[in-house]
Amino acid sequence: MAPAERHPETIAPPTHSRTPLLMRKILAFASKEIYTTFRDRNLILLMFATPLVLSTIIGLAFGGIGGSELPDFAHIRVAVVNLDEGVDPQETVSLPDQFANLDALLFDPDDLASLFNQAGIGPDQLSQDGAPLNFGDQLAAILLSQAVEGTAATATQGFDLTEIGCNLLDEPEAAGAASLAAGGSLDELLDATAVDDAEQARAAVDKGEFAAAVIIPPGFSRRIMPQFAFDEDLSFRTQFPDEDGAVEVYANNGRPISLRILHSVVAGIVNQFVRVGVALGATLETSVNSLAASIGSGEINLAAVDLSASAAALQNMDATVLEPLGCLITPSANNITVTHPPLEAIQEAPRFARTIVPIGASQAVFFALFTGIFGIQSLYEERKYWTLQRLIVSPTPKIFLLAGKLLGNLVTVFLQILILLAALTLVASVVIGEPTFIWGANIAALLAVILALALCVSGLGVFVVGLAKTPEQVNLFGPMINITLAVVGGAFGFALPDQAARFSLIYWGVDAFTQLANAQTDITVNLLVLFAQGIVLFLLGAWLFKRRIDL
Amino acid sequence: MQLMVETRNLRKTYSRPDGSTIEAVKGVDLEIRQGEIFSLLGPNGAGKTTTISMISGLVTPTEGDATIGGFSITTQSMQAKRLMGFVPQEIALYPELSARQNLAFFGRMYGLGGKALSRRVYELLEFVDLADRQKDRIDTFSGGMKRRVNLAAGLLNSPPLIYMDEPTVGIDPQSRRRILDTVKLLRDEQGMTVLYTTHLMEEAEELSDRVGIMDHGEIIAMGTQAELTQQVGEEDRLEFTIGAQEIAEDLVERVQHQTAGVTRILSNPPEQISDDSSESTPARLIIFAKRGRTALPQIIQTLDAADVDIQSVAVREPDLEAVFLALTGRALRD
Repeated sequence: MAPAERHPETIAPPTHSRTPLLMRKILAFASKEIYTTFRDRNLILLMFATPLVLSTIIGLAFGGIGGSELPDFAHIRVAVVNLDEGVDPQETVSLPDQFANLDALLFDPDDLASLFNQAGIGPDQLSQDGAPLNFGDQLAAILLSQAVEGTAATATQGFDLTEIGCNLLDEPEAAGAASLAAGGSLDELLDATAVDDAEQARAAVDKGEFAAAVIIPPGFSRRIMPQFAFDEDLSFRTQFPDEDGAVEVYANNGRPISLRILHSVVAGIVNQFVRVGVALGATLETSVNSLAASIGSGEINLAAVDLSASAAALQNMDATVLEPLGCLITPSANNITVTHPPLEAIQEAPRFARTIVPIGASQAVFFALFTGIFGIQSLYEERKYWTLQRLIVSPTPKIFLLAGKLLGNLVTVFLQILILLAALTLVASVVIGEPTFIWGANIAALLAVILALALCVSGLGVFVVGLAKTPEQVNLFGPMINITLAVVGGAFGFALPDQAARFSLIYWGVDAFTQLANAQTDITVNLLVLFAQGIVLFLLGAWLFKRRIDL
Repeated sequence: MQLMVETRNLRKTYSRPDGSTIEAVKGVDLEIRQGEIFSLLGPNGAGKTTTISMISGLVTPTEGDATIGGFSITTQSMQAKRLMGFVPQEIALYPELSARQNLAFFGRMYGLGGKALSRRVYELLEFVDLADRQKDRIDTFSGGMKRRVNLAAGLLNSPPLIYMDEPTVGIDPQSRRRILDTVKLLRDEQGMTVLYTTHLMEEAEELSDRVGIMDHGEIIAMGTQAELTQQVGEEDRLEFTIGAQEIAEDLVERVQHQTAGVTRILSNPPEQISDDSSESTPARLIIFAKRGRTALPQIIQTLDAADVDIQSVAVREPDLEAVFLALTGRALRD
């Protein structure tokens, strides 16, 4: 007779709600794993002190203390927001209205408009097809490396900042402008994207999706294009509207070099626009006053005047002509302002910071590999000391014990990498001499990379331990596999070809960290590879590993 | 009385690396009643631990099944496991954690939590007289203290059944005494059923309501001590230690025929301690006799006449050792 049939009555075991209880058991096991790991001084040395010291030494050897040598920057990700409403030249050069009280003058105001048109700077030229003149479009097109067309572009030709005698810009700005001129195109330097909304662009910068945002305000063109007016003594003068037309460069604190380069570029371009406006206003003011005076005194008979020479001169005016005008630009006419989060001092990233990122990241991942494998291997220890047997006898399914072990290992590896990155930031700050967050501003992406790496590392640990038949095999093959991955992934200071390196999870992790540090957020492939690799290894390893706890 | 544990044809076969198999447990049938202390007695390697491992769900039986409180350990393992506590032979504790942390962790694995867990942990630390050391790491404890925490960990869920696998191995007499007293206390005051394995006859005799004697993976005898000793009759056991000399066959026959009441004689020759040693263990002569004390003078006279060097004599009344000896021809400690 079967035993169960002999006992129709059973002794009621204590009951619990099953799922939350099992989850609590997994968490309890994972917590115990994390606690015991972080209480082990030897493990702490291996997990943290060793990679930290190694990274610092290598970083100092190759990056030096302090230093400010510029790295090879390229493809700085920039959001360009053009809100410029433009300006209608008809309103700006509304001669009939402005001359409405000048009936005493013996000329037809329309003739003056005709005069400006002949000079190539009249309403017909400045307002093509009746569209407003929009300098913002031109600035955005330059930043986006698009074809530049239209009046403003034409007008900028020949107004090279460097040809103007006055020192209009700070040295770095001049250098930026010069480098822009030398480069000819911005598409190598900037990876610019048009964005419609300023707040959206600022938010994207905050998230680290862009190194900076260039926000061209609605009044940008009005601020550049001078307004014309007559004083009470009928003298003609130009004036610049008192409205906010400053271009905003909203930047990421973590990218001081990118910010500085971008600032120089934008300043160079915008100041050329400003100078066009100033030059235009000054030329018109001088010419009109002179003309008006001559007409008023009867020295000039409008009907007999031949304007072709004047028009040619105006059309061919160059920097030499404008040289005295450049000095008219006051600091307030500099249409660039830089806004950024609280860090006041914009600095260039020292070489140490740039060196420690890939080195520190690779060392962090390399040592995490040991945690991953030997953390899982500790299940053998549990079996040896019978704590595993005690757990198996408890009312906890084996799969949940395994899950608790894996979760504990995953969290341990996650914390290890996270703490190492934080510690490396501290080291970098100490070496550099001031607080410097070296991993970029996109914290969410940074955490995602760490999580993906932790999953991948733990998965590898489960797989290796599951594959090995004995703890001795794990001790032998575990380090071999880790070192191979480190060599292939470039963690030992030399890089193999990308095709080979891609086989190592270290490559994908370090590449993602380096990209984030450079404010580049195109790490989707890295995350996909790491997560996919982690999940596959995890499942495969768990399947292999389950037999290890069948006693 | 309701059965707490029942096994039928419980069998475990292991494969060897060379492809052959070894049968560690050969179809064990057991019935353990609620509230009794049942001991599995047998020498090392008899299959006690494998049997208890199968009953506790630690090892899957190759054949057969066990029920705990009516729940099958193979098909209703979670319900069955909730009814049991487990005290393994090894110190199954985390050395880097304190006594309290160990108990709290294992308590959580039994579904305890919050204040109930804290209260239970403290009760048990008091019970094993270690409340004052609760915050100390296990690896700072003596062997006896570790054993007591090990025992406490098996009681966390207040189980109606507890397995104890040789819980007194390797500890000092004082700690051993404390554990044996605790086991009796669990039965007498808490009504707990105890399945106890040991290779020490004295422990089985002191603790057990019933005993199952195991050898070579089989239960060779089972019952109360009285029932078991009856199997070897009313014979006393006379144990002679006789120095390093062989006992001749004809001398054995002479003792048996010339002495009234002698039923059987076992002769263990002297054994060399090691290959490179000239020393050897003394030979032993074990004589089963009714009214042993009456027969003793005649036996000594016969041996003396044969120039046997008698070093010591002990007279033992029927006990479990005698049962084992009678059933297997070997002493428990062999």
